Amino acid sequence: MPKNKSLLLVFRLALGGLFVYAGVVKVFDPLDFAQDIRNYRLVGQSLSFMAALVLPWLEILAGVALAAGIWKRASALIISGLLVFFIALTLVTIARGLDVECGCFGALSRKSGFGVILEDLGMLFMGLVLLFSKKGLPPMGTVPPN
Amino acid sequence: MSETRKIVRQALVIGALSVLLAAAVHFPLVKRLVRGEFRQTFLVQADYPGIRLITLQEAEDLWAAGEAVVFDARPERPFREGHVPRARNLPATESKLKVPPDVLGLPRERTLVVYCEGGDCQSSLALAKRLHDEGFKDIRVMTGGWEEWIKAGLPVEAGDAEK
Repeated sequence: MPKNKSLLLVFRLALGGLFVYAGVVKVFDPLDFAQDIRNYRLVGQSLSFMAALVLPWLEILAGVALAAGIWKRASALIISGLLVFFIALTLVTIARGLDVECGCFGALSRKSGFGVILEDLGMLFMGLVLLFSKKGLPPMGTVPPN
Repeated sequence: MSETRKIVRQALVIGALSVLLAAAVHFPLVKRLVRGEFRQTFLVQADYPGIRLITLQEAEDLWAAGEAVVFDARPERPFREGHVPRARNLPATESKLKVPPDVLGLPRERTLVVYCEGGDCQSSLALAKRLHDEGFKDIRVMTGGWEEWIKAGLPVEAGDAEK
């Protein structure tokens, strides 16, 4: 169990830290991020604008909460939900043949594609482990507690 | 069940806090949106003083007078099927924008007109920003794009043309 606890702590710090970083780099340039969202051509100007204002803060707050161990499962729920959304968005973008930057890490973003999906899946794995574990990792082969 | 509810409630609180923080920190931007800014573009004019959004009529006048170099930011295939006569194809997507050396050789004061598909296409703006970064001082984005040009029954050229 202590080993599992350490692993959970590593997951929390890594995932929380990544989300705080992703939020911070975008929060200072909301218009640039709004353009990134607009480039996906799924929502209009106003919705892109509002998402660009709120999403970075959601990433920061959920990331800080997760890393600090406050409302761990709620923040893991938000982060996992966001990741599922990002993965779906990237798949739709690939299917539509759009060549856009993912907008994930502000100026450090790269092309939205399968590489981004793989990274998101890795983070989603951590998020789901944190979401479905109360004190430690569920034993192998058992259904995680709800 | 009550545990699930608690988690969802906490998640909603984090969501609400995010909305409040965003509204508070970015209040000046929200005010600008309410005043009607950002309806067409998120471009901050102060950052890109050389870029202007223009109507089809303005673009047509510049094109007819031969006063501007016209760039088509759409991918190669639709360009080959039809484009504004004398336009050069400079496929511009967000992740890959290459400006060829001959374009870079143009005088920086030259008027450039850029367009893409029209509707909600964004590549003309991406190309305009890229050209602006290269030092061009007069870039005009035809916001109605190819769609409006075709609808207006204006001349069309097909094939590879200049590239």
